[in-house]
Amino acid sequence: MAKKQLYWKGEDELLRTKEFLASQKNEFNEALPLDEVFSENNLGLNANRRDFLKFFGFSVAAVSLAACNSTSVRNVVPYLVKPEEITPGVANYYNSTCGACSTGCGITIKTREGRPIKVDGNALSPVSGGGLCTTGQASILGLYDTERLDGPKKVSNGSTSNIDWATLDTEVSTQLNAIQTAGGKIAIVSGTVHSPSTLAVINDFKTKYTNTTHITYDAMSYSGILIANRDAFGKQVIPSYSFAKSNVVVSFGADFLGTWISPVEFTKAWADRRKVDGISADSKVLKTIIFESNLSLTGTNADYRFPMKSSQEAVYVTSLYNAIAKLAGQPAIQIAQSGELAGDAIKQTATALWKEKGNSMVISGSNDPKIQLVINGINMLLGNYGTTIDLDNHSNQYKGLDTDMVSFTNDLKNGAYAAVLFYNSNPVYSSPASADIIAGLKKTKLSVSFAGTADETAKLCQYIAPDNHYLESWNDAEPKAGLFQLTQPTISPVFTTRQAQESLLTWAGLAAKTADPFANKGIYNQKLSASVYYLYIKSKWAAMGVSGDEAFNKALHDGVHMAPAKAAVVPAMAVSLNAIVSDLQSTIGNSTGIDLVLYQSVSVKDGSLSNNPWIQETPDPMSKVTWDNYVSLPKALAEKEGIKNGDLVNISYDKVSLNGMPVFVQPGQSNGTVGLAVGYGRMGKAGEKGLFESIGKNAYPFLKVQNGTYNTVVNGVKITKIDGNYELAQTQTHHSIEGRDLVRETTLEDIKKNPKAGNDKATPHLYTLWETKAYKKDGAPNHHWAMAIDLNSCTGCSACVVSCSIENNVPVVGRAEVRRRREMHWMRIDRYFTFENRKMVDYTDDLFLSRDYEGKNVTKEKGLEALDNREAQAKGEFTHWENVKVVHQPMMCQHCGQAPCETVCPVLATTHSSEGLNQMTYNRCIGTKYCANNCPYKVRRFNWFRYNDNDKFDFHFNNDLGKMVINPDVTVRTRGVMEKCSMCVQSIQGAKTKAKREKRKLTDGEVKTACQRACPAGAIVFGDVNDPNSEVHKLFKNERSYRILEELNTQTAVKYMVKVRDIENAKA
Amino acid sequence: MVKHLTKRNLKVRAVAFTIVTLLNLSIFSFNGLAQEAKLSAQAAEGEKLFKANCTSCHEMQNKATGPALAGVHNRRSEEWLLKWIRNNEAFRASGDKDAIAIFNEYNKVVMNNFESLTEDQVKSIITYFKEWTPPVKKKVEGGEGAESKTSFYSETTLYILGFLIVILMVVLYILRRTKNSLKKSYEEMSGETEEAAAPNEKMENLKKRINPTIFKMAIGMVVILALASYGFYFGVTEVAVQQGYAPEQPIKYSHKLHAGELQIDCKYCHSTAEKSKQASVPSVNTCMNCHKAVQLRDKYDGEISPEIKKIYAAMDYDAENQKYGDNPKPIKWIRIHNLPDHAFFNHSMHTKGAGVTCQTCHGPIQEMEVVQQYSTLQMGWCINCHRERKIDVENNPYYEELHEKIKAEKNNKNSEYGKYFTKDGKINITPAQNGGLECSKCHY
Repeated sequence: MAKKQLYWKGEDELLRTKEFLASQKNEFNEALPLDEVFSENNLGLNANRRDFLKFFGFSVAAVSLAACNSTSVRNVVPYLVKPEEITPGVANYYNSTCGACSTGCGITIKTREGRPIKVDGNALSPVSGGGLCTTGQASILGLYDTERLDGPKKVSNGSTSNIDWATLDTEVSTQLNAIQTAGGKIAIVSGTVHSPSTLAVINDFKTKYTNTTHITYDAMSYSGILIANRDAFGKQVIPSYSFAKSNVVVSFGADFLGTWISPVEFTKAWADRRKVDGISADSKVLKTIIFESNLSLTGTNADYRFPMKSSQEAVYVTSLYNAIAKLAGQPAIQIAQSGELAGDAIKQTATALWKEKGNSMVISGSNDPKIQLVINGINMLLGNYGTTIDLDNHSNQYKGLDTDMVSFTNDLKNGAYAAVLFYNSNPVYSSPASADIIAGLKKTKLSVSFAGTADETAKLCQYIAPDNHYLESWNDAEPKAGLFQLTQPTISPVFTTRQAQESLLTWAGLAAKTADPFANKGIYNQKLSASVYYLYIKSKWAAMGVSGDEAFNKALHDGVHMAPAKAAVVPAMAVSLNAIVSDLQSTIGNSTGIDLVLYQSVSVKDGSLSNNPWIQETPDPMSKVTWDNYVSLPKALAEKEGIKNGDLVNISYDKVSLNGMPVFVQPGQSNGTVGLAVGYGRMGKAGEKGLFESIGKNAYPFLKVQNGTYNTVVNGVKITKIDGNYELAQTQTHHSIEGRDLVRETTLEDIKKNPKAGNDKATPHLYTLWETKAYKKDGAPNHHWAMAIDLNSCTGCSACVVSCSIENNVPVVGRAEVRRRREMHWMRIDRYFTFENRKMVDYTDDLFLSRDYEGKNVTKEKGLEALDNREAQAKGEFTHWENVKVVHQPMMCQHCGQAPCETVCPVLATTHSSEGLNQMTYNRCIGTKYCANNCPYKVRRFNWFRYNDNDKFDFHFNNDLGKMVINPDVTVRTRGVMEKCSMCVQSIQGAKTKAKREKRKLTDGEVKTACQRACPAGAIVFGDVNDPNSEVHKLFKNERSYRILEELNTQTAVKYMVKVRDIENAKA
Repeated sequence: MVKHLTKRNLKVRAVAFTIVTLLNLSIFSFNGLAQEAKLSAQAAEGEKLFKANCTSCHEMQNKATGPALAGVHNRRSEEWLLKWIRNNEAFRASGDKDAIAIFNEYNKVVMNNFESLTEDQVKSIITYFKEWTPPVKKKVEGGEGAESKTSFYSETTLYILGFLIVILMVVLYILRRTKNSLKKSYEEMSGETEEAAAPNEKMENLKKRINPTIFKMAIGMVVILALASYGFYFGVTEVAVQQGYAPEQPIKYSHKLHAGELQIDCKYCHSTAEKSKQASVPSVNTCMNCHKAVQLRDKYDGEISPEIKKIYAAMDYDAENQKYGDNPKPIKWIRIHNLPDHAFFNHSMHTKGAGVTCQTCHGPIQEMEVVQQYSTLQMGWCINCHRERKIDVENNPYYEELHEKIKAEKNNKNSEYGKYFTKDGKINITPAQNGGLECSKCHY
């Protein structure tokens, strides 16, 4: 029997624990909480038959009475003067720039009746390339956040009072003038600002208040790269990285597909270079090699992933430098602890790089400038500057220098600043020197925050001058040198907020408008006026060469304006690497101590938007944990310390400690390291124990100053198990895949020889119970909607999951409900682990799966001895646990042509359409859940509650403001009905109507599902397979495409494409 | 509170309306006659021309887009008026101070040149101005009080009461029968006649013979069954069905006048019906397009029509000074057609896409003084239409492939697509046959 790769979802499934197997036998893995429901209402009852009848009778009576109520009077309130561009019921789209982080992705905002309801990537912007990350997708909810401040505030003695803008302006200006006269110092602390106009505003402010310093502070900075490039090349910039021109990329802990610098841009570029269809024998894909401690998104997608102890990174990079220097005939760096690491990984990597010199990239996620200098050295040896790495058309996305922040913090603590203004930064939360900032703030005469919510820093300032949300703002951006983007408001401010730029201009005395070009433009009683900052931007852009309404409006329409690129110059390195050996040596930690490696999770990122329920409910792509951060432990350490999933530990280093952190044993976590995500542990609304106060714990205090910058690696942390237990809310652990052939993968080598490689399973014999026509011989009469998902492009980033939830009004259910497996996401990304071939223990025999927990054989196959000596195999170093490979598989309703769900519905609430869709009709559904039970793909979701009006689900769906984001084209489902992916049928119907109205054929690509629109990698293609010219038709014919569980003869409308890795074939 | 137009209410209104109308008519006709008698033939000619050319911008007594014209012959010389009316542009260009002044006073709104009018015709208009007298102020009769009463009992309540009465009758009948049969059996058993037993004794016996619990239950069952069957019938046919719903709107806008008599195209106001899923109630500025000038002062004694005033109030428009204020208030129309939220109906699909007229669903809207819901808007009603109408596959390229498939099987009437050919060789395919009854066409 052929050996087959074993895929598994979680530790339980791999080890076939008794509990796991027992839970698989039950339909519900826990009893239904009937007693809980009855006792919750203070009825003091235990549910028995009589009570049930009472409740039943009462409900019937109540429902009958309620139905007698005649329909209430509803009003229609039309516009007084309808804006010309608005047609009620038709969406408008505006191009703008995302404000979720400083990456500055170009976005397209969908508005309905003047209300933004969806954000997608703008294909014209090179930064987003048409996709958008989870955080960007979810950031729209920040506009409709009840925690937003409704106007300017004055804070004194810890209490916040309302103040009007005029008073605030007078008070702040008076103070600033007094400080200026007295010669006091003023600081503006901001996140990275790459908006040319905002920078000009700050300069204008500096002109008026001459003693002002602007400090750029990024919570997770890229100071290491900035300083290294400054020292080496005299250019304090993050270079542009060209994945398109590279054939090999080697990363040391840089999660470029998840969080590093510009993940959306990099994901698109990376995926474009991983295409294998019709590949010739001598063409190359982008070989991806990563050395890392935590299992990152990039790690799961890499061809080769080597575990690394991050405190030893200097050793790894110098070894690589030396290995390449040897090949290049250059002198090596003389460092004591050098040698061959991770087997011959470094040597192999050096060879691969040297083969592709000039067409490769080496990057590092370290924030240590000395390590980055070595990385620069490696890239110099490889001649990558000027080809794949460009310092001249550089990135502006992160400009914060930790050194500046460290000295500012000290000065502030010593009372050197008379006034501090915080714009787009929250150092009281994110700085490890938070205590110093709090102390220093008390010594200032004036402190102002521009935060839109009363965040940790704003609460301690004297004034809060709330900035508009980015969807209400005018702004511009220059995320990369020469790439200019505009931000435009798509709604008038929801609250009495004002743009920070306008505030600064007002205080600098520059807010007076000379002429208002819109003053006479309104018709009837419309009163229009141009915002001060809009006029300011326009004048700056005119100076930049975009002058006149036509040119400016063109830029506004496109959202993007590009200046010609500069020629990339090959720089010379001004630093000798041997001169920094002692600095490098100092970064190397004790090899026996445990490393704590802090990281940003893919959706929460630096935590600035972590009160967003959409972000919190998105499962982490690797662990599938929601709503918490946790200490991720390697299996070896967990076994050694006797720690299991869900145990609590105290983790401490020096004076910093976090007590009672939940533990997750993460396959792929490098031995000797533990991971912990920053961005959690934010404080909720002032004075209230808000929901979000309890999400995880703040890990920022662990950041450690090393060679002048904040470093994410802490060597020598102490981990102690404590009593107690905490169940993390994980989404993908409970189902078993029963060894079925769900994911398929192959190697590049094989697919070059045979395009069907990895997909050459014989078509199973198909049976059907039903006498159906199935499909008409030439398909459905008009359309047959279908989807192709390329596992080779999918990185698992989960942007589609969030996009789908927003488009389809999917409710957030919260941590407790996720624990009960009641998450409502219509789409999920299944993540499968498998051991790497090289280190594979004998789990590969598929007979292993054929046993139930009592040890009896459940199939004809004979039992597996491996089960019995599992324990014996499990002992040892657990190096195989470090070396897991991962496959991500997006999973949603497969829209089966012969759907198992349809045949069991007693009320025909789920039926099949002539266009190939599996339709779900909520108003018919009575909630038997038969369909969910019968669904082989487990994609149906049951509404246990009426999430939209239930205050127990206090996320956004239960308040009027949060409801603004609801898509009016999709029904808000009520309690007791089943729901699932509809393939965005509202978009299909919309596009069809448009085509019929315009009397033309529907074109391919006209209908795009929400997941497809979000995907930065372009992994999802939707269309009409009846159309022979459609892309999806071609993909359905592709040799790599397969149907999942094809043997069930469900005739799915979704096909997956085999994943291809650029690795050497396993030796048989 | 919405006033339902019950039949009773309608009658009251109709009577009141007739009385008021008759009264008004008599006064109007008298005034009309009186005024007309005074005009000379030339002035009558002038009046015709005035009404044909000038009234869209001018009124006699009040400012409209242009100045009020009563007494204009006293303010300006005839020569001046002739020049101005026939070509005011050239006149202004010639540098006449008065001409420029009046142009500036009226916000530089350009008046049409009427070179097509002969000098004599213009002179006859001026004669009309000279001979014009203001209409006699009419007395306010009846007013609106007559029709503002609402019925205390709604139709439904009446039905329910009636139904209850029927049930009570039934119960009474059953009780009587029970009583009789009991009496009979008692007589049979005891051999006593009715006359023999004393009334008290008889009652006692009766009580003994009837198990009180069963008796109560029987009555209860009857009541419950009756109510349940009524409830079921009501539930499946009536709940949330608002056919005939005709609430009184905040402005008494008449579709009969606008769409019927004036023949204004539906899409002039409901401009999105062919573009969007919503036909949408027009924004107030649409009303202002016409009603800035059309104020119907002649019908209201020189006052602006009270309904038009409501439009002005919404826009905070000062008609005398033609200025907009800062305090506009949107109009809260009452929604008549209420589809449930899970049903997505797209107007543009039906109007532009399928060529269905507005009246198909909304009824003879051009005859409705007060709009009412014409159709039931139940799903069965939707489906019936989808079963009966025909898709125009021949003239809409969207259906090109379907059309090809059908054409290819023209000679095979029993085939999958050939069956769409009728006997006379025409294609007849209904939306229902093309997936138009599938759930997710309307529910998603």
